Amino acid sequence: MTAAIRTTGLGRRFASRQVLTGVELDVRQGEIFGLLGPDGAGKTTLMQLLAAILDPSEGQAEVLGFDTVRQAAEVNARVGYMSQEFTLYDRLSVLENLQFAARIRDVAPDGFRRRSRELLAMAGLQDVLDRPAGKLSGGMRKKLSLCANLIHAPPLLLLDELSLGVDPVSRRDLWRLLRRYRDDGSTVVVSTPYMDEAEYCDRLAFLDQGWVLAVDSPAQLRARVQGRIYDVRTAMSAAVQAILRDVPEVLNLQWLADRLRIQLHAGADLPPAILARLRGLATLASAAPGLEEAFIALSTAQAPAAPPPVTPAVTETQGGEVRAERLSVRFGDFTAVDRVSVSVSPGEVIGWLGPNGAGKTTLIRVFCGLLMPSDGEAFVAGLSVTAQAQALRGRIGYMSQRFSLYPDLTVAENLRFFAGAYGLGGMRRRQAIEWASGMTALTGMETRRVSELSAAVRQRLALACSILHGPAVLFLDEPTSGVDPLNRQRFWQLIQTLASGGMTVFVTTHYLEEASYCHRLGLMHQGRLVALGTLEQLRQALRLPADAGMEAVFLGHLERTQRELAS
Amino acid sequence: MRLRSLLHKELIQFFRDPVVLFLIFWLYTIEVVICAYALGMEMRDLPLAVVDADGSPASRRLVDDFIAGGNFRLAAHLRDVAAAKPYLERGKAQAVLIIPVDFERELYRGGGQALQFLVDGSNANTAAVARGYALQTVEAFRMRQGTLDERPRATVTAQLRTWYNPDQTNVNFTVLAMIALAGLMTGVVHPAASIVREKEVGTIEQLMVTPIRRGELFIAKTVPTLLIGLVAVLPSLALVGWFGVPVRGSLPLFLALTALFLFSAIALGVLVAAVSRTLQQALLLAFFGLFPLMFLSGTVVPVENMPPLLQRLSLASPLRHYLEITLGIFLKGVGMEILWPHALALVAIGMPLYLGAWLIFRRLS
Amino acid sequence: MNPKRIAAVATKEAKEVLRDPITVGVALIMPLVMLLLFGYAITLDVDDIPMGVLDQDRTPTSRQLSEAFTASETFRLERELSDPQAMERALQHGEIRLALVIPPGFERALARHEPSPVQLLVDGIYSATATLVGGHALAITGSFGHAAPSSALHLETRVWYNPSLSSVHTVVPGLYAVILMAFPPLLTALALVREKESGTIAQIYASPLSSVEFLAGKLMPYAIIAFVQMAMVIGVGFLWFGVPFRGSVAFLLAISLLYVLCTLGIGLLVSAVTHTQLVALLAVLIVTLMPSLLFSGMLFPIFTMPYVVQLYTLAFPGRYFVDISRGVVLKGVGLEVLWPSIAIVAVYTLLVFALAVWRLKKKVA
Repeated sequence: MTAAIRTTGLGRRFASRQVLTGVELDVRQGEIFGLLGPDGAGKTTLMQLLAAILDPSEGQAEVLGFDTVRQAAEVNARVGYMSQEFTLYDRLSVLENLQFAARIRDVAPDGFRRRSRELLAMAGLQDVLDRPAGKLSGGMRKKLSLCANLIHAPPLLLLDELSLGVDPVSRRDLWRLLRRYRDDGSTVVVSTPYMDEAEYCDRLAFLDQGWVLAVDSPAQLRARVQGRIYDVRTAMSAAVQAILRDVPEVLNLQWLADRLRIQLHAGADLPPAILARLRGLATLASAAPGLEEAFIALSTAQAPAAPPPVTPAVTETQGGEVRAERLSVRFGDFTAVDRVSVSVSPGEVIGWLGPNGAGKTTLIRVFCGLLMPSDGEAFVAGLSVTAQAQALRGRIGYMSQRFSLYPDLTVAENLRFFAGAYGLGGMRRRQAIEWASGMTALTGMETRRVSELSAAVRQRLALACSILHGPAVLFLDEPTSGVDPLNRQRFWQLIQTLASGGMTVFVTTHYLEEASYCHRLGLMHQGRLVALGTLEQLRQALRLPADAGMEAVFLGHLERTQRELAS
Repeated sequence: MRLRSLLHKELIQFFRDPVVLFLIFWLYTIEVVICAYALGMEMRDLPLAVVDADGSPASRRLVDDFIAGGNFRLAAHLRDVAAAKPYLERGKAQAVLIIPVDFERELYRGGGQALQFLVDGSNANTAAVARGYALQTVEAFRMRQGTLDERPRATVTAQLRTWYNPDQTNVNFTVLAMIALAGLMTGVVHPAASIVREKEVGTIEQLMVTPIRRGELFIAKTVPTLLIGLVAVLPSLALVGWFGVPVRGSLPLFLALTALFLFSAIALGVLVAAVSRTLQQALLLAFFGLFPLMFLSGTVVPVENMPPLLQRLSLASPLRHYLEITLGIFLKGVGMEILWPHALALVAIGMPLYLGAWLIFRRLS
Repeated sequence: MNPKRIAAVATKEAKEVLRDPITVGVALIMPLVMLLLFGYAITLDVDDIPMGVLDQDRTPTSRQLSEAFTASETFRLERELSDPQAMERALQHGEIRLALVIPPGFERALARHEPSPVQLLVDGIYSATATLVGGHALAITGSFGHAAPSSALHLETRVWYNPSLSSVHTVVPGLYAVILMAFPPLLTALALVREKESGTIAQIYASPLSSVEFLAGKLMPYAIIAFVQMAMVIGVGFLWFGVPFRGSVAFLLAISLLYVLCTLGIGLLVSAVTHTQLVALLAVLIVTLMPSLLFSGMLFPIFTMPYVVQLYTLAFPGRYFVDISRGVVLKGVGLEVLWPSIAIVAVYTLLVFALAVWRLKKKVA
């Protein structure tokens, strides 16, 4: 096996900021190599260095036997590089985008015909050849981007955050393409924030703050934390958390919908005193580690601190039920939401899953009173969304996937503005801001401008802004996209805290592993609610084994629906 | 409370937006200065070539008269008309004065004779002005010669006086026109930018799920611009002083009518925001869409020089009325008793625009 | 240089542009709008100037004098004025631009061959017009009382290149320089930055395309649009406005080609050094549109500007092209006269392209 990529002491500085330091990588030909790391770890910079579109400040990289500085043109001609942003021209059709990619890479016309037919069929894009790329769904766009980068059959493919914002169904298709491609002998380097995706890689590199912490296969990485993970099942979650919170041996505490999960420091055991206190309260069982735990163990960042105790402002939240009765939304001939009935009780966290375009966002917009349903009726916090929309707005919180904040205002100014927008003034405003910013660990950042904050902090600020007025129901539309695993976990702790205080939380997500944080799950497909229940119930409906992953459950339900629709 | 928060937020954002701040600063100061210096100058120093076939004291006096006022600058003394051609072709001279042989003799004899004045017409305005200067110079010369004339003659001596702008510089006009233009751009660009940016960042959706009412949002998007527009006028008043533009009328009246004008400009800005999705589109629209509006206002060329159809159209441009108001207050020193039709026109143009903006705004959010 | 790759970029760019109705609209309609507005609106031709007469003499001679004014095509009697207050009001309202005041005893003085002064009051707000109005008025009063103009010294003006002193003839050839400077750079400037903003540029960087190939391909569709604009503007200029064409059409087209390359290059350069479409847009407006409108000599003659500003105008190719275009169209001159301006544009073009290629390194940082 020869090396596709070999780097020695590779580093890059932007002005005075060191983004990458001493990266030594050896990527073999014919493997799928994953780059995993939190926000700002340097994944994108590394990708750009490897694509020879950025010069290193120190060290060197050899890609396919060419030096990335001196022989940049040779590297450019041989690699496919897909950046994090979309690399398509919105106004060109699918076929035209592909043609362009081929022609600037000197692909001969007959070679293009053969390969494009093959690739488009594999990506399932053969029926939309004439559609402008701008009108494709996120998943289709990513698939087309991938095809465009495969058109010249590059021996090396560099993919930056391949499946950001892509629904699970499209993600499965993308990986199918990648594996085919690897089996033909090519090499793939892919960076990803998804743990389940990292599992598919042959080998992984963990990046943190510009350093490579480990390079190994997923199985080996998981083995490193084997025996340090325990599931804690209890009926008295708050009491157990209080016991476990400050135990030095505990590296991380995760609050899932139906249990707690703890991770211990390397070589540490829970002290007998703690075990004694837990006896009778909870049952401990050793659990199989996931990559997420391996990631947390390796990461130099401190594990997220548990949120502060719930303050009275939240426990006052009451009456946060959500009820929809045969709710439909039609846009012309298109039915975005098709007779959805659901009932959510106060304090429940309900996860809403489905492929892109399934109608999740439309449903949330109806619940928020932004969109009138064509049919049916919905009640949120006891108010009719059709008749009492104005009153409704004071009782709900909404956070969009874009973390809609004012980038030119500081943290404090955003908080003050949204508090004012909800009619809070004087003492009540001060208290609400103090509570929300304390809860979301924003204290100390008040004077920073939003535009200079990381995605993770923006996410917490967006949450803080949407709960200032103590809403009865909180709607979160893909609240964790673009945020790394550690901060995602931390975010979910906050959600659990809010829910335990009585707030109803309605959340949509593409991260299937987050399903384990939700009390119940709703699966939408083509506007219809095709399944609703706990994860266990959904598994049983398909007669899947108890250890079946969320992905199997999700895809299983979608396939069953498709079969039903077909027959 | 909600409204106060909104207004507060708008003002903070205004001071943090480098692009809009730069634009407003540019429009109210740099552009005014550049234009005043570059375009406000009266037409002087026209390069003049002279073919003096007479070479007498009288012909030299005439040439001196041409040069003395500063309107013309002597570019060359030429021997004959044929030599003049390359000068005009290459733009080295704008005009050629040809003084015939026997000029002096004929002058004292009182016989008829013609001076020739060749003008490069490729810039029609320059040519017309050059001709005007030449006419005035020759008239003045003739009148003075007339008094030397021994025989008494019937003469009409005309006293020419230019009102409102005795130096005949364009500076006053340019400064005021540019300030009026800046008012239009600010009034349009600022609300457009602040609304479109909320669309771009997605915060407009966030606002919709708060109890903020549309009316409150509308007020928050329009009132700050009015204040900013009024405040932004102040530094340009300093420029007015710098350039020595007279302030003959009442400043409070000027500010009040500026507010009225901004009111209709803001409505346009909201309309622009309604149809554009990105800041770039909004700016393009603002710049090119407002182009005709500016053109028809009299800031670039006097309205009465336009064809009748365009003159009638110009009545619909709020800028035209504002320009008349500005010129009236500063240069003519008139008050409401004369300006009321323009003020009324601003209201008449502003009301439907505002109404339209409000209707669109409601649908938009 | 690989022609296939260049063609790939060019076709891609062409498709993108054609599918953007706003851009195509701005590119094709705005030049015509500009041309029509300028053609119709920019004219300082003085005819039909509204004037008022305050005749305090009320004699046959005084009536003759006012008839001498109204008989000319330049002036039109708007109203008879009863007293000085009425005159002042009429000037203030802008009803009249010139007032003729004939004092009592005018006829008597004239009969006695005494100097008989009359007053001419000109509204000086538009100084260029005021100069012309004053000149014309003086000429009328000056020749009044003489049997025939030939009996006295008078000025015979001949206007070369544009005998009718039509502003359209001046404006249209000059406008080529402005329109070709305003729109092509706008398109190219946004074209490159758009790829930077949307991130598609990364794909270009990570491909075998060289910077020169990429720029060349990018340029082509815009060059074609620019030539279409040019053809449209030239065609409308000659067919609609009837501007005479004295020089060689082929020569002008050839030079326009060079000039368009130059303006496209400026757009590319702006694009290569900026990072957001908004900044690129503002930069283009400031480095191309404004200077070409104000400092090219198209409307405002350069020799009247202060010396520093004159030096500043040297930095913009628009000024050279105005000279070239007017030279070819109106004066009918060719290479033998215009070569210095052409050489400067050529060098300018090379420089701009070299800079653009140098700035567009195929690296993200």
